[in-house]
Amino acid sequence: MTRVAPQLDDGPAAWRFVPRNLAPLGAALGLALLMHFVFQPAAGSFASKLALDIAVNIILAVSLTMVNGFTGQFSMGTAGFMAVGGYAAAAVTYYGSFRLYGSPNPPAGILSAFGDPTGLPLPWLQSGDLMFVAACLFGGLVAAGAGYIVGLPSLRLRGDYLAIVTLGFGEIVRVVLQTSERRLSNAEQIAGTPWPKLLTHLGGSLGFTSIPYFTTLFWVWLAAVLTLVVAYRMKRSSYGRAFLSIREDEVAAEAMGVCTTKFKVRAFVISSFFAGVAGALIAHQVQSINAGELGFQRSFDVIIMVVLGGMGSISGAVLAAGVLTVLPELLRFMADYRMVVYALALIVMMIVRPQGLFGVREVWEVGPFRRRAAGSGAPGGGAT
Amino acid sequence: MTPPDAPLLEVASISISFGGLRAVREFSLALGRGSLSGLIGPNGAGKTTVFNLLTGVYQPDAGTIRLAGRSLPGLRPHEIAHAGLARTFQNIRLFPDLSVLDNVRIACHLRARHTLAGALLRSPLHLLEERGMLRRARELLGIFGLDDRRDEYARNLPYGDQRRLEIARAMATEPKVILLDEPAAGMNPQETRELAGLVRRIRTDFSLTVLLIEHDMGFVMDLCESITVLDYGQVIAHGPPAAIQRDPKVIEAYLGAPAAVEGGVPA
Repeated sequence: MTRVAPQLDDGPAAWRFVPRNLAPLGAALGLALLMHFVFQPAAGSFASKLALDIAVNIILAVSLTMVNGFTGQFSMGTAGFMAVGGYAAAAVTYYGSFRLYGSPNPPAGILSAFGDPTGLPLPWLQSGDLMFVAACLFGGLVAAGAGYIVGLPSLRLRGDYLAIVTLGFGEIVRVVLQTSERRLSNAEQIAGTPWPKLLTHLGGSLGFTSIPYFTTLFWVWLAAVLTLVVAYRMKRSSYGRAFLSIREDEVAAEAMGVCTTKFKVRAFVISSFFAGVAGALIAHQVQSINAGELGFQRSFDVIIMVVLGGMGSISGAVLAAGVLTVLPELLRFMADYRMVVYALALIVMMIVRPQGLFGVREVWEVGPFRRRAAGSGAPGGGAT
Repeated sequence: MTPPDAPLLEVASISISFGGLRAVREFSLALGRGSLSGLIGPNGAGKTTVFNLLTGVYQPDAGTIRLAGRSLPGLRPHEIAHAGLARTFQNIRLFPDLSVLDNVRIACHLRARHTLAGALLRSPLHLLEERGMLRRARELLGIFGLDDRRDEYARNLPYGDQRRLEIARAMATEPKVILLDEPAAGMNPQETRELAGLVRRIRTDFSLTVLLIEHDMGFVMDLCESITVLDYGQVIAHGPPAAIQRDPKVIEAYLGAPAAVEGGVPA
């Protein structure tokens, strides 16, 4: 055997490239539409709100899995990136509405409509929705940029520095946003202020309020499924294995040609992007965002989901996000004791299964679901 | 470019100190293309430190290291792996919670040309290279007798298999020179003999240059064409195995001054 050059004759058909990418997009749209048009009317407003929170937490938990789970670094910056993404997106839609439509109420389609959408004679999508999608992507990109700036210096170092730096980053974001100028609400004043200046008017300590409502079950589930597709494809690729090798043994990963700094920064930036998108989605659901509420406590909530699901397990993070969103509601009958029970459940969990529910593996790689496809790379070792 | 008869790896008087300890002093070595050499010495002589200097884990305080004409000092370990110098570790450093197959496939990544975006979009080049990596990894595992265990966690392998997996993984980086740090440690005589056969085989089949550290003298003397002996960070002898076995300085380094000799010559 000599060096293997890829053989063209056994290459996969290039035309399948398009369906290969349209399929998950279609699946995401399908589930999102189902949640919006079937689940929401059937389940009622309380369950719908819960389903919305679950989807947001899935995005957050999966995004953190990319850093804490794949590369084994310990980031505590989720809330900070949510705040950055949320404020950035809110600024775009709020001031964008004034600029584009002259009012704080941009046109929205059925997919973003408030309340029962079936009774409203609306088109599916309107230009406001496109602005909203662009704002979410913008929020994600700004958060990713912040992730790059934070990650580049701190990820060069080994060990727990990232935890400290991200904790500090979250606090800096909070203080900076809370000392921003008050939100402008006069249409003429907004029209006369240049964009860079507008971005300093983020509501200060009162938080950014009066954000237009866009986030429905459709958008959050669409985003959640797309996040999952990205995470899963990342894990199941040469790049994903390189991410995992850093968690396993940084010195060996370097020796095998993995530029650990570059890969850690990559994972961190992608993770920050999704945290930013999640922040943007929340901002357009609650219709306000306050950096004061996005302290490190919010980051810890997400860390707990990742640890509980199993560091590196995407499906584990999804499951944990679901369980930990629903559990506090289920325990509501215990009134004052519910957070005690919640904490106890976590402690017991960590004693019984310190590696989390699924460890590194995915749900279908464990127990009766385990499959051993030849060369799939799915570890078939015994449970530990 | 370098002339064809120039050594592939040329190390000229490298030194490194840790605080007051001069771990390696004026170490020089030249490895010809396709040669199979050994680096021996008593415990603490600085053998692994030499490997760490060659692979960029430490930077030498002085001296030069050239691989196929390219200067290595200043490069980071992953850049040296790209340049074609691979290694195994004395205290096994596999990726324990990943499958045997994935351990090898990770080392294939540095030759991949597709981008992260290509991987996320499952581009044709990505799928093509993934197949190439899978095939290459399985071929290597086959050579090292590990293909049947490819789906197991690396940490669940027996010790000897872990050592062989380390070599297979290093091979996956498509190196010009491979550094083996005590490849036979913890192996029984049977496994050691098989390992010697494997090392010869990969050297020939992949036209590799091999440098190995080993304490099993039978293994080293049998396998290596030339041996460098290190003691207190300095080269005390260099030559073919037969000459090294008779070298009084080597005997002294291992067994002490002649008056203390009781067990005879190390062999």
